[in-house]
Amino acid sequence: MIPDRIIEPGTLTTDGSRVAVEVRIPWYRALPASCIAGAKLTVDGVEAPAESLRWRMNGQERAFADMVDDTDSWWFPLDSAVLSGEVALPADAGEHRVEVGLTLYIPYIVIGENEVLHIEEHDAKTMPLREAQEVAA
Amino acid sequence: MTASNSVPEPVEGLGRPIQGVTLYSFTRAFHGREYDLEGLIRKVAADGYGPGLEIIGFSSFRGFPEIDDRFAGWFRDLVDEVGLVTTSLAINADIGIHRDRLLNQDELIAYMRRQIAAAAALGFPIARVQISITPDSMEALAPIAEEYGVTLALEVHADQYASHPRILALRDRYERVGSPFLGFTADWGATVTGFAPSLIEAYRRRGASEELLGKVTDLWNEFYEQGPPADQADHGQRFGRFIALAAENGRPDLGIDFGINGTGLFGPARVDDWLEIMPWIKHVHGKFFGIDENGEEPSVPVRDLVRLLVENGYDGAISSEYEGWHWNHWQSPFEIIAGEQAVQRSAAQAAGSRMITDAATARTQLAAWLPRTEGVHA
Repeated sequence: MIPDRIIEPGTLTTDGSRVAVEVRIPWYRALPASCIAGAKLTVDGVEAPAESLRWRMNGQERAFADMVDDTDSWWFPLDSAVLSGEVALPADAGEHRVEVGLTLYIPYIVIGENEVLHIEEHDAKTMPLREAQEVAA
Repeated sequence: MTASNSVPEPVEGLGRPIQGVTLYSFTRAFHGREYDLEGLIRKVAADGYGPGLEIIGFSSFRGFPEIDDRFAGWFRDLVDEVGLVTTSLAINADIGIHRDRLLNQDELIAYMRRQIAAAAALGFPIARVQISITPDSMEALAPIAEEYGVTLALEVHADQYASHPRILALRDRYERVGSPFLGFTADWGATVTGFAPSLIEAYRRRGASEELLGKVTDLWNEFYEQGPPADQADHGQRFGRFIALAAENGRPDLGIDFGINGTGLFGPARVDDWLEIMPWIKHVHGKFFGIDENGEEPSVPVRDLVRLLVENGYDGAISSEYEGWHWNHWQSPFEIIAGEQAVQRSAAQAAGSRMITDAATARTQLAAWLPRTEGVHA
């Protein structure tokens, strides 16, 4: 729906072993943590291992598996979440290709018995590293 | 009415729909942080898109459906100050919120109660609900709607349409339950007359050939001639035809997009299909996709739809709902919405009536149009 805005320009950071980027919801309304099912994070063609991915939202950082039962914390349409994962990236001044894929469940669109619509949205942008900042663990 | 006003008083018995807008029309501007909620509400008022104001709870209110008194007071004061009138709060039946299982009936009713309470706190007399709510659930929600004085208007949206079996089942249940607090929101996307040209232009900008674009339009026109899909199986087959068309023409990447929009946004029912549920239409989404160089909506029969509402005595609100923002990133939504509202006003006059554009009349008329809590329960 709004995939062109998933990656926030200019928000790529690294501590050398992990990278992080701010992401926006590609949907018009808030979704609860339980409906944020997974992501892919790739920088310069190197994809972060799935088990290394972490999601920071509303001041809480978690693995996706730990969000399945959380229907109380919401990703509001104006808020950036932070997606991070293990990718070794030298802290140089060059441009980096960042790709993010998101899998989201749309909780009010029931498409079959006990089946809810899920969408997969993707964005790619090129940006330099933001000045060194602490990267989420 | 002043003597200088050239608009004649409408003929008795004709409806006078209330002009309005849903903030959903401005999704990209809000999501893009061009306007915050207060800024957007002020712009809606200042630029004359009201007086009717519709908002999606989960889009615009942080922490929804929890609404504290202080926030509700701030919101109601703001709406009053700028001269708007709250019409419908769009709420959601998040039946799949647990992802691995659906909410049971008790959980769903509790989930909806909180949102209906939020509508009441924020001053919305209508809550828009969606098709995922069954007749049984609507019946169970009726007393809650009455308790809060909020009319539940279930949205009839493509790929459904007024005479669709699921909608008629709801209508029949409403009739049996007899609560004035149960009704429908009519979404004009169910009664579209063409594949939106602005979406064709968006595909062109994505490199689709003129030949393929011609075939997409032809396929949609074929479905229009056949009328709306009889059932979900028919709907699925049409979806598949769009996907196959894209694949056969070397653009499989566009197939799902063709299918979603061709079946889910551009519903091919005829305008008079709305007569099946007209007495239960409490609110209208003036869904549209663009305005052409002649100032007309090229694929939604806005003039015919407004005439139908006027001639059937519709006194509720029409929320202009611009959906072209999904693909039209090259034009500002604001002028496009102003253009569509001009068509609505012109159509209402041509039908012998007019749109209500002042807040005081809108407030009084909406109150008379919708049920009151008093007297519902003896």
